[in-house]
Order: sequence, then C-alpha cells, then structure tokens
Amino acid sequence: MKSWILGLAVLAVALPGAAMAALDGPKAKTIDELAKMFDSSRCKSCHSQIYEQWEQSHHARPMMGVAGGLKDTPLAMKGATPFSPDDPSKATIATFPCFKCHLPQAMTHAEDSVAVEYAKALVAQDREKIGKLQITCLVCHNTKAIVHRLSVGNPEPNVLYGSKDVANHPDPVFKSVKRSDIMQQPLVCGQCHGLGPNLEFENPVQCANLYGSYLHAYIPAGGTQSCQECHMKPINGIADHLIGPNFNDKEGTIARYQKTLSLDVQTLGYEWLLQAGKHIPKVVVNTKINSSAGHRIPDG
Amino acid sequence: MQSRHYHPQATNEMSSKMLYGAQVKTANIRDTSIQPYRTKEESFEFILPEGVRTVDITVNLAYDVVNPDMRYNLHNITRRVSLDR
Ligand code: HEC
Ligand code: HEC
Ligand code: HEC
Ligand code: HEC
Ligand code: HEC
Repeated sequence: MKSWILGLAVLAVALPGAAMAALDGPKAKTIDELAKMFDSSRCKSCHSQIYEQWEQSHHARPMMGVAGGLKDTPLAMKGATPFSPDDPSKATIATFPCFKCHLPQAMTHAEDSVAVEYAKALVAQDREKIGKLQITCLVCHNTKAIVHRLSVGNPEPNVLYGSKDVANHPDPVFKSVKRSDIMQQPLVCGQCHGLGPNLEFENPVQCANLYGSYLHAYIPAGGTQSCQECHMKPINGIADHLIGPNFNDKEGTIARYQKTLSLDVQTLGYEWLLQAGKHIPKVVVNTKINSSAGHRIPDG
Repeated sequence: MQSRHYHPQATNEMSSKMLYGAQVKTANIRDTSIQPYRTKEESFEFILPEGVRTVDITVNLAYDVVNPDMRYNLHNITRRVSLDR
C-alpha cells in the first residue's frame, strides 16, 4: 500500500518532466500537446500571487483577448483574408502570421497539424480548446528570455530565466534560474509589442506597433522608464503580473485610463465681430489632453 | 456635436481605404493617437442659434475598445456658458 502511494507521487512529478523534455524534442502535433509542453500550472503552488495575476492578464488569453472574441476567425475562412486556406484542413503554421506574437511557441514548437486543428476550432468557435493556447510563464521565462543568442546562446530547455540567479530552484523540471540580461529591459516586451509592419511574411501584417512608439516617441522626448517599471510595479514586493490593463475588467480599465489621460477644459462665451455691426454669438471650448504613458494611446 | 478621433490609421498601401485587422493592414498612414509628453490641444467653436444666450457644454473623453459599441467613458465635464455678463 505504502509503495503504491509512493509510486503515484513519483508519477505526478515525472509527468511535467516528460512534457518539458519535449521542448527540445519532437514538435507538438496537437493543441493539447502544445499546451502541455508549455504548461505552467504547477508554478502556481509556489508563485500563487503571480499566477493569479497572470491568469487575469491578456497574456493568458492571447487568442481571444477582448470579450472572448476569436480574432483569428477570418484567417480560417476561405477568401476572407490573403492568408485563408481553401479549407481549414489545408491550414499550415504560415496561415497564422499572428502566432509570431500571440503564440510564438506555435512557430517554433508545433507541426502544421496544430494549425489545422486551430483552423477547425475557429470555424467551430470552440473557445474551450482555443483557450488552452496561452503565453505562459515558460514563454517569457524561457523562450523569449534571450535575444542575443549569438552572444549568450539559446535558452536551455531545463533552465528558467529571471532577473537573478537561483541555484536551487525547487521546481521538478526547471532546477535552476539564471539571470537574463533583458528580463528587466523593454526589449523582452518589444519582441511581441511590435515595431511597425511585419514584412517577413508573404503578405505584410501590422498589429501592435507600440514598441516602435516607445522607441521613436517616448525615448526621443526624454522618457527613461522601462515597460516593467510602469506596468509591473511590485505588489506586496513582487512584480505585478497582471501587466494591465485588462480590457475585460471595465471598471479597472476605466480607473487606469482616467489616471493616465488628464483632460483640461476651458470655455468662453462671447459675441464675435467679423464685420462691423454683425456680432455672432459664439462658444469656444478649448481642451487639452495629457498622457502619462510611455507610448501612444491607443495602439493598434 | 463635434468630435475628434485619436488613433493610428492604416491602409494596405495598395488603395486609399483605411482598413481594420492585422491580416490586411500594412502600415500607418496617419496617427492621431495621444503621444507621450505631447499635449493634445483642440479648440471647438459653436455658433449659437438666434436668441440663445446660455448653453450647457459637455466634453466627453471615451475609449472605444474594439468598436464604439464597447465604449468606456473616462471623463465627462459639464459647464454652463453664458453670453450675459
Ligand atoms: C510572447 C509575446 C509577448 C511578450 C513577450 C509580451 N507581450 Fe504583452 N501582449 C502580447 C499579446 C499577444 C497581447 C494581446 C493579447 C490579446 O488580448 O489578444 C499582449 C497584451 C499586453 C497588455 C494588455 C493590453 C492590450 O492591449 O492587450 C499589456 C499592458 C502588455 N501586453 C504589456 C507587456 C509588457 C510590459 C511586456 C514585457 C514585460 C509584455 N507585454 C511582453 C504579447 C506579448
Ligand atoms: C508584432 C506582433 C504581433 C503580430 C504579428 C500580431 N499581433 Fe495582434 N496583438 C499584438 C499585441 C502585442 C497586442 C496587444 C497590444 C496592443 O494592441 O498594443 C495585439 C492585439 C490584437 C488584437 C486586440 C486584442 C484582441 O485579442 O481582441 C487583435 C484583434 C489582434 N491583435 C489580432 C491579430 C491578428 C488577427 C494577427 C495576425 C493576422 C495579429 N494580431 C498579429 C501583437 C501582434
Ligand atoms: C509577458 C511576460 C511574462 C509572463 C507571461 C510571466 N512573466 Fe514573470 N516576469 C516577467 C518579467 C519581465 C519579470 C521581471 C519584472 C521586474 O523585475 O520588474 C518577471 C518576474 C518574475 C518573477 C520575479 C518577481 C519578483 O518581483 O521577484 C517571478 C518569480 C516570475 N516572474 C514568475 C512567473 C510565473 C510563475 C509566471 C506564470 C504564472 C510568469 N512569471 C509569467 C515576465 C513575464
Ligand atoms: C516548489 C516551489 C516552486 C515551484 C513549483 C516553482 N518555483 Fe519558481 N521559485 C521558487 C523559489 C523558492 C524561488 C526563489 C525566490 C527568491 O529567492 O526570491 C523561485 C524563483 C523563481 C524565479 C526567479 C525570480 C527572480 O527574481 O527573477 C522565476 C523566474 C521562477 N521562480 C519562475 C517559476 C516558474 C515559471 C515556475 C513553473 C514552471 C516555477 N517558478 C515553479 C519556488 C518554486
Ligand atoms: C511611463 C510609463 C510607461 C511606460 C514606460 C510604458 N507604458 Fe504602457 N502604458 C502606460 C499607461 C499609464 C497605460 C494606460 C493603461 C494603464 O494605466 O495600465 C499604458 C498602456 C499600455 C498598453 C495598452 C495600450 C492601448 O492601446 O490602450 C500596452 C499594450 C502597453 N502599455 C504596453 C507597454 C509596453 C510593451 C511598454 C514598453 C515597450 C510600455 N507599455 C511602456 C504606461 C507606460
């Protein structure tokens, strides 16, 4: 009896390990395999505050970010976009250039069969299945944690990257955390938050270009803060992983933007004289809006 | 009513039609969004109809998330303006 329980415990620990080994192993063939490969649910047991914030974030629902809308649906519909296949069964990873930023692990770790399954799920509007596709902890803390790959090498499959070294990280798979030079820099976010048109595809794609705005409007104006300093201010001493706003939270979003965008209004009523003897009753309303963000508002 | 729209605007640069949707947009051709460290200033003028000397002015700043059906109101400022001194 005792040994049976022990065996079960070992199995529970080994499972994520087997899935993670697949990070440098064969590519995922199904949505479930891809979701499992990047599964971060066990991080919750030790990083519960971060996990709960992340769960509410857009990064946890990158394929249906606002009000449950399945944004990629037109790409699965014949003739609706330049990328759309004749039939969902003919979809490939190239059908969805959106993966570059909304699900980068699909570009590197998935077979075309995942794109077929995704296209069919879009046609069926299967939100449960599509909801499994997320920008998990592993995306930011492993695959997107290094950009200077020639200088420092590729991310190692069993290492997490953070803002410091943790020699004995108590996770069963990621037994150490190494310092990533960019984790606290805008660059880590800039990989997905867009510079302008994405011209590497067969047809151009432009979505977010907020990182371009940060670089070309905020920096030239003298701004010095990082994305993290404004968006991940520590709560209880730990970096906020809601990385707000969360547009599905109406009250919270309104409160944030009320603070970000100030509105000054000046009014004047007078009688304007254009021509001698002809006064025109007029009201003038002067408005001034100032923003405390580090980029354009809105983007996209 | 007078309004201003603040947002980046893109076409596919193959026609003059503005487009929505990352899959068809190619590049911004105009950007009226609110910029960091730059005050967005407007001056609106209303000519009052015959006989009207007092009006209520409402200035509303709203964020349209996705489309105008999903409108988040940020600021509503109301002022009574009179020509009489
Ligand atoms: C792997 C790509 C990726 C990385 C890295 C990334 N983001 Fe995002 N982020 C996204 C995507 C995709 C969305 C939108 C998802 C949706 O709602 O469809 C998003 C949404 C957001 C939002 C919510 C607002 C909105 O318009 O949806 C904020 C704020 C944000 N990210 C900030 C950051 C910051 C700050 C960083 C760096 C610490 C960062 N992101 C890193 C891809 C990324
Ligand atoms: C360069 C990276 C990038 C690419 C490529 C990209 N997106 Fe996005 N997308 C983002 C980010 C980041 C956000 C959220 C932040 C923002 O809008 O500034 C976003 C937000 C969105 C939103 C609004 C949030 C939501 O989920 O409703 C939609 C819709 C969207 N993208 C659709 C697409 C589609 C469709 C494609 C592919 C044709 C695509 N995007 C390609 C980065 C990208
Ligand atoms: C969108 C990218 C992104 C995602 C997704 C993400 N993180 Fe982070 N995380 C960061 C960045 C950037 C920092 C560094 C923030 C700073 O120091 O200002 C960070 C910091 C941390 C830290 C150190 C926090 C501190 O203040 O000491 C931990 C622990 C962590 N992340 C765990 C997680 C876990 C667990 C998940 C999944 C639930 C997760 N992260 C998801 C980008 C991300
Ligand atoms: C058994 C508990 C446990 C589990 C499970 C766990 N962690 Fe950790 N993690 C820790 C501890 C303890 C630290 C060290 C905290 C410190 O020294 O500040 C840490 C540190 C980190 C750091 C470095 C923080 C920094 O300051 O940069 C990151 C990133 C991180 N964990 C991410 C994750 C992710 C992602 C997962 C899931 C794949 C995970 N952890 C699972 C306990 C755990
Ligand atoms: C000086 C502070 C500051 C900096 C730097 C900054 N942001 Fe923001 N950002 C804000 C504020 C304030 C908002 C308004 C919403 C809020 O308060 O959360 C915002 C909004 C956003 C949004 C939603 C945009 C929209 O369309 O409404 C995204 C996405 C975002 N930031 C990503 C980033 C990324 C990525 C970086 C770094 C490249 C960055 N931010 C740098 C302060 C900042």
